[in-house]
Amino acid sequence: MKRRINYLRIDNLPIRYKLISLLLVITILPSIGLGSLIGWAVDRIMERQINENTFQLINQVNKTLEFYVSNMQNITYLVAFNPDVKRFLAEQKGIQGMNDDYSIRQFLQGLTTLYPEVAGILVVNRKGEYISNEMYARSPKPLTEETWYQEAVKNKGIFKIIGHPMHRNVITHANYTNKEVVSAVRAILNPNTQEVEGVVLIDLKLRVIAEATKNVRLGKWGYLMVIDHRGENIYIPAKPFIKEIPRQWFHGDFGAFSKKVHGQYLQFIYQRSPFTNWTTIGVFSNQESALEIKEIRFYVTSFVFFVCLFGIGSSYYLAYSLSRPISQLISFMKKVEAGDLTSRYHDDRADEIGVLGRNFNHMLDQIQRFISLAEWQERQRWEAELRSLQAHIKPHFLYNTLDTIQWMARKKGAEDIAEVVESLSKLFRIGLSKGKDIISFAEEIEHVQSYLSIQKTRYKDKLHYTFDIAPELQKLFVLKLVLQPIVENAIYHGIKQRRGPGHIWIQAEEQEGRLLIRVKDDGVGMSPEKLASLRESLSIGFTLGDTEKKMKNIKGYGMVNVQARLQLTFGNSYGLWIDSKEGQGTTVTIVHPIIRHIT
Amino acid sequence: MKKLVFIYVVLISAFILYLYHYHLEISRFRSFYQQEKALQGKMDEKYVMVTFQAGMDYWKRCLKGFEDAAQALNVSVEYRGATQYDVNEQVTVLEQVIAKKPAGIAVSAINPTALTETINKAVDKGIPVVLFDSNASGSKAFSFLGTNNYNAGVTAAHKMAELLGKRGKVAVITLPHQLNHQERTKGFLETIYQKYPQMEVVAVKDGKGDSLASKEAALEILNEYPDVEGIFATEANGGIGIGEAILSLENKKVKIISFDTDKRTLDMVKQGIISATLAQGTWNMGYWSLQFLFHLHHRLTPSLQSGYPLLPPYVDTGITVVTKANVENFYAK
Repeated sequence: MKRRINYLRIDNLPIRYKLISLLLVITILPSIGLGSLIGWAVDRIMERQINENTFQLINQVNKTLEFYVSNMQNITYLVAFNPDVKRFLAEQKGIQGMNDDYSIRQFLQGLTTLYPEVAGILVVNRKGEYISNEMYARSPKPLTEETWYQEAVKNKGIFKIIGHPMHRNVITHANYTNKEVVSAVRAILNPNTQEVEGVVLIDLKLRVIAEATKNVRLGKWGYLMVIDHRGENIYIPAKPFIKEIPRQWFHGDFGAFSKKVHGQYLQFIYQRSPFTNWTTIGVFSNQESALEIKEIRFYVTSFVFFVCLFGIGSSYYLAYSLSRPISQLISFMKKVEAGDLTSRYHDDRADEIGVLGRNFNHMLDQIQRFISLAEWQERQRWEAELRSLQAHIKPHFLYNTLDTIQWMARKKGAEDIAEVVESLSKLFRIGLSKGKDIISFAEEIEHVQSYLSIQKTRYKDKLHYTFDIAPELQKLFVLKLVLQPIVENAIYHGIKQRRGPGHIWIQAEEQEGRLLIRVKDDGVGMSPEKLASLRESLSIGFTLGDTEKKMKNIKGYGMVNVQARLQLTFGNSYGLWIDSKEGQGTTVTIVHPIIRHIT
Repeated sequence: MKKLVFIYVVLISAFILYLYHYHLEISRFRSFYQQEKALQGKMDEKYVMVTFQAGMDYWKRCLKGFEDAAQALNVSVEYRGATQYDVNEQVTVLEQVIAKKPAGIAVSAINPTALTETINKAVDKGIPVVLFDSNASGSKAFSFLGTNNYNAGVTAAHKMAELLGKRGKVAVITLPHQLNHQERTKGFLETIYQKYPQMEVVAVKDGKGDSLASKEAALEILNEYPDVEGIFATEANGGIGIGEAILSLENKKVKIISFDTDKRTLDMVKQGIISATLAQGTWNMGYWSLQFLFHLHHRLTPSLQSGYPLLPPYVDTGITVVTKANVENFYAK
């Protein structure tokens, strides 16, 4: 059944998608982050700079306004200093009578010559008589009843700005409307009595205020406006965002705030001039900075878009170039899994995937070599088996013949011959042992005893032998025909060449989970060279393919055969171990595994 | 690969959508705030009015017109002038103004020739100059806006004939050395002589532009020619002086025609002391001077081959006869 894959788990996501997402994350996320950071920083910096600039501009405008207002104040003093005016206020007739009026007019004309921003000057005494070039009363109602007059009296000689005049009984001949002027008054006091002698009224043309403030543009659509201490507009542009600003919005002499007016956010920055008591307010729409921020945001978005465009393409390509060899490797491995060991990974790339592929190739090479080695070893074993079988077919016939000979010998009373023949036949029977490889140790011992008894007949007293094998060890199973070749060697290369009788000891013991069978003789032994050459013959592994050739030159074919069979059957940790000293004899130890049952 | 193409198509179309949206929003925003500003200048364009006897009430109406035009065109104005009746002072003031390189200058020439050189200097520097009220006809100034003084004299003569029933002796009090007053006098004299044979101008006296001097001149005339029935004053102070003279003489019936509409003249018209006064288009002089200067500065009128802008070289700002019937209209509202 196919495994259900939960792609929500990151581990289950294909590497390609992981790579694409990783690349996208490291390209797009930082650019988005950077973009929003820039937007935020620009927003803050712009706001701060706008505020700073606006404060500076407001300050300049306030200074200009203060200049005009202080000029007006100076004019009121100049008027008060004039001796003709003094006389007029004190209600004294001058020496020239009517000419006082004329000279005051001339004097006032001089003032307006110097200050063209003044729309009109009017001097009124406490009787309500007035002198002015530009202004006159609308109705005969005395001017002392006017609010501006009262205001001047209330302020006791201190210059007072009224603002736009309203409902006053005074008009300028040049037709300046109330909205076009800002008026100010000052009462002239008698220095001795502190009584009000009269009032000077000055109208300042709003134009100069408008010029000073209109000249200042805040951004594209922002503007400055001026309000007086009562919150009434002194100057406001033609198309304002807001017509009147509530007084409660202002706190302190300067500051900034923002309010929502007619559905749009307006930013207000204001500063009050302590001298004029007017507040100059910068008004601009937040939308304007919003527009600029939008523009910046637009650039950032475009930037992010191009990063995305580039990032997706490149991450797709990179991920593909990374994941493609991996999937190639996977399909190649699947082929191998299906049994095709000859297929190889073909790519000369130098990165990790290339290394992985080459390592895999190397591993496949090794596996193939092991497989061929195993095949060769198997063949070797079979060949050895076959050889031993062939060696036993002939003795089978021989064994039957020997049986016949034995019976013939007994019939004729030749007991010794019968005995030898019996031993020989026993030897062959066990040697054949119905083709089994593994036989009981007891049988193996019997086989060797038969062999030895035959040899005893030949060598008589020259050969003596002793078995020293515990009965319980005899119940074990061993590989057949391992003892006989060793004993044969001991006789032919040890005892036979010795002068006098020789002895062979055959012992067995269990040691460290192994069965050690020792065949020891007191024959001539071997010279060290010979021993070394024999050991070398035995030590030639049977794992190497080229040993066939060497086998032909080796000495002691029987021993090597035993060694080969032991090692092929049980592995390299088992086999023969030879020790010999020249003139003292040889000991051959068979190292055999303990086998208690055969299956 | 198909997926990639799909993603690209989606991305690009999203971006195009965003672009379109952004463009739409920006243009909507712009159009919302864009104010149609036909004929709008900048506040740093400064136009200067230069006069003589700068404190004179007469100029205040001109200046008001100048200021009103500035308000309408969103530009700044400045008022400068010789403080006294002094040719050299006005030249100096004009030089100072030129040095500041204003956007345009409106000059009322104190005399027909004295300012010509300075005005030409300004025009050569590229500063538009127009003349108002008093002309300097030899200069390179682009236009003159003012009263046709000869016609004003003609109008005064007709009015006087109407008042006196086309017969009788009349006199003139004027400023004989000033061109505009000479022209007024000339218009008056020639009309009386040509059109009204039963009338006679018996005296032309110098009133010095002062009410006191004019009063004395009027008294002199009445003393010499007791049968004078009407006096024409070519300027406001003259009219007031004559009025005061008539008031000082009891039971003397002399028709007075004065000039301009200052407060005291209007009061006398209202009281019936002055029969009629001639109102000049002073506000119009100021207003249209600035309009002309604005057009020159912004090169709104096509130029002639010589590079000389196409503007009316002479604009008559007109004369209105003010009598008791319509005097209320001339008071400030």
